[in-house]
Amino acid sequence: MVAGVLRVAVEARQITGTSPSPDISAPGIPAILAEPAHFSRPESALLVLCVLLSAGLFFWRFGPILRRILRSKKDADFSLSPIGPRAWEFFWEVLCQAKVIRQRPLPGLAHAFVFWGFLAFALVSLNHMATGLGLGFLPPESLVGRFYFLFAAAWALLVAVSIAGLFFRRFFARPIWLGSKVSYESGFIAFLIFMLMVTYLGAFFVPGDSDAVKALWWMHTLALLVFLPLIPHTKHLHLVLSPVTVFLKRDGFSKIPPLAGDEDFGLVAGKDLTQLISLQAYSCVECGRCTEHCPAATTGKVLNPKEIALGVRSYLNEFGPTSDVALLTEARIPSPDNPPAKYLSMEAAFECTTCGSCEFQCPVGVQHVPLIVGLRRGATNTGAWEDSYGTKLFLALEKNGNALGLSAMERDKFIQKQQFPVFDGTQEYCLWLGCMGGYDPKGREIIADFARVMQYLGTTFGVLKKEKCTGDPARRLGNDLVFQTLAEHGLKAFETAKVQKIVAICPHCVRTIANDWREFGIAPEIEHHSEFMARHKDRLPKQSGESIVYHDPCYLGRYQDVYEEPRAVIAQAGTLVEAPRSHERSFCCGAGGGLTFLGEEKGDRVSYVRAKELVSTGAQVVGTACPFCNTMFRDALTAVSETPPQLLDIAQLTARAIPASQKEAAGGVE
Amino acid sequence: MKIVVAIKQVPERDAQIRIAADGKWIDESDLSYTINEPDAYALEEALRLKEKNGAGEVIVVCAGPERVQSTLREALAKGADRAIHIEADDLAALDTLGVAQVLADAIRGESPDLILTGLQSDDLGLGQTGVVLAELLGIPHATIIMQVEVAGAGLKVKRELEDGWFQHVEMPLPALLTIQSGGNKLRYATLMGIKKAKTKELKTVPAAASSSTPTITLERVYLPEKQKKTEMLTGSPDEVAAKIVDKLKFEVRVI
Repeated sequence: MVAGVLRVAVEARQITGTSPSPDISAPGIPAILAEPAHFSRPESALLVLCVLLSAGLFFWRFGPILRRILRSKKDADFSLSPIGPRAWEFFWEVLCQAKVIRQRPLPGLAHAFVFWGFLAFALVSLNHMATGLGLGFLPPESLVGRFYFLFAAAWALLVAVSIAGLFFRRFFARPIWLGSKVSYESGFIAFLIFMLMVTYLGAFFVPGDSDAVKALWWMHTLALLVFLPLIPHTKHLHLVLSPVTVFLKRDGFSKIPPLAGDEDFGLVAGKDLTQLISLQAYSCVECGRCTEHCPAATTGKVLNPKEIALGVRSYLNEFGPTSDVALLTEARIPSPDNPPAKYLSMEAAFECTTCGSCEFQCPVGVQHVPLIVGLRRGATNTGAWEDSYGTKLFLALEKNGNALGLSAMERDKFIQKQQFPVFDGTQEYCLWLGCMGGYDPKGREIIADFARVMQYLGTTFGVLKKEKCTGDPARRLGNDLVFQTLAEHGLKAFETAKVQKIVAICPHCVRTIANDWREFGIAPEIEHHSEFMARHKDRLPKQSGESIVYHDPCYLGRYQDVYEEPRAVIAQAGTLVEAPRSHERSFCCGAGGGLTFLGEEKGDRVSYVRAKELVSTGAQVVGTACPFCNTMFRDALTAVSETPPQLLDIAQLTARAIPASQKEAAGGVE
Repeated sequence: MKIVVAIKQVPERDAQIRIAADGKWIDESDLSYTINEPDAYALEEALRLKEKNGAGEVIVVCAGPERVQSTLREALAKGADRAIHIEADDLAALDTLGVAQVLADAIRGESPDLILTGLQSDDLGLGQTGVVLAELLGIPHATIIMQVEVAGAGLKVKRELEDGWFQHVEMPLPALLTIQSGGNKLRYATLMGIKKAKTKELKTVPAAASSSTPTITLERVYLPEKQKKTEMLTGSPDEVAAKIVDKLKFEVRVI
């Protein structure tokens, strides 16, 4: 690529017929950058003045931002180590621009060229400024100089083409994710970058010590010096901050930090914003990838994850990081100390399904889910969030210990009917039912079928005599009191029963037990039933024929990086078909984040949008791996299709091929 | 306004009730307890009145053994300002008058403007404690209240009557109201509430010695006997519908 561009540069010179330098003898490196040979004292003084002015303006505007970030509350659980994964993320996401390119290939690549071009230009720009003071350290005629300036020229061409393309995209193609407001600043900055490149490349085509060289040199300098002070107050602040943000971001996907001390209830006011949150808010580059993939933003809800990050930024700009002004209002009693929130709405915060698409997509290290859950914690833990469904859910979790609000006796009856053995320490696995498996009719079918699969494989298991919800919906809705009570109860139950290994059908249970409970203790090893079945896939009955489209649950895929195991199970049960959006780009079913227990959603139903996609594949069966996805699609598939495909969990898909005699031996349902 | 809420701790709804060996009361071991549901609504009403007025104090009072402190703590977490625990280990041995006397002794010193209780308890369901308590304190009362409004120096309340009728009553203060379930939406206990509750006062006072011997004693407590009386109605849909109407009219007598 570079070689190709070089040829273009050379040909261009030959066509114009100008000779940039008398010395063109070095074979293979014909073009030499023209530099002004001499700078008068007033000229140098002017340069120094301009640089000081530009740098001064930059720090005048950047200083307050930096102070706001540094004055934010310390992140109580932050630790630099292990540093290895951080270094890797930095290398992969920043230096290699992997995420930028992978999730939006064409504009991503254009961005990467601009970024790499900037890196290549660091030395050029330094030398450029030094030349103005007569201190140039990279003579264009030297071998290193010739090579490096040509190398940079190749990049300059790529940058110029890329930035022109990005300019066209922003102002003419106008993808809706960039927002309805046209950012003229972005246009101006694109122009400056283009100018920088043109003035650099131009210097290859003008004679050495001409006025044109001087003019180009000054134009280049001015473009650079105008660009610098523009950085802090535009999205181009990400140039400075995002490498740091990516390096420092919280380890772990959607990691919700523990509350620190007796006065911490989550993100209530500005004084609760932590350094990482502030840093991330100022790093947002407004690319709108989070919005593009957000199940709320794309179905007509108020929530737009980009506006959450920018809302925090605007709040910090106006009130600062030590403010007592509420981040969200709509509190129980509005008062003079509690003015209406300007930037962040409670409604938006409670529309998030915590699917994590935004966080996964973000190329600059903004971690939206902990931020949104943090805002919910601030509202729920203080009682500011009033929602009759939410209250009903919390009271049900407090009283009945399950999210469905049914009597705990219903689970006892179900266990008895299924003749599930109670875990007594002699079995290999503890089979965790979860709220859906223990109380929901369809969830019970899944659990019963999975139990049959385990029995077919000869794996011993038992269930806990009593089991309460893991606290997942309370956790995501920001109720730390209920979550902690349930987590501690669960940890104790496992300890008392001396459980070593757990298997569950619900990705939400698995994630919550394995990760979120860690705040209060370490639970026994837990796996999702897809992992269990994939490990034994060779012993599972092989079925053929039916086409099965697999829906990646957010809490299994993005949250736990389990993509291939459920596919392996499905491949055994039929022909795997991929949905239009799959793997890490899978679209939420709409249930997560406790939303399945809240009221009717605004706009289009998330589940309908996804169900339409699944139906459009023409598959005969929709395969799920999460009882919540399953329950959402139960209604959605019939609503969007006249002849809806069958809807089965991977456990059901497997169990249906187990011979009947073994089903009976396994003591299955009915 | 100073409001006292008298609450009772009862076994949880889906607790598996066993009868004690002597057959006079339930076996209390291994049971989990919670706030009596109508009392939860009484507490909610008190908290809302205080919030609406912007000032006042809500004091929760509960008689019973040490375990009732958890229910009092929860009430404090939901927003009550103070709690009084009346130590009484054998509440079941007292009759309504005895319980009301115990409560009256603890409340009298507070001289509240308003006393709220649930209209009845989930366990015994007698529905009299509030009324007797008002009588002992010599203040007016109103029962089965759906709504409370402050009107001048007194109150305007909405009572639930039978058959979907309501009665609106104006009454002076101090007064006692027994609150019906469902009038308000209950709030959930919050983390902030629990943390604040730790610093709130929970006073323990001994139960005053009962001046009267119980006039009512429990003879026998028993679980409802299960009986299956399912009757399948057969015939065409029209016939079945006619039979259902017949039964609703003459057997169940609801239409």
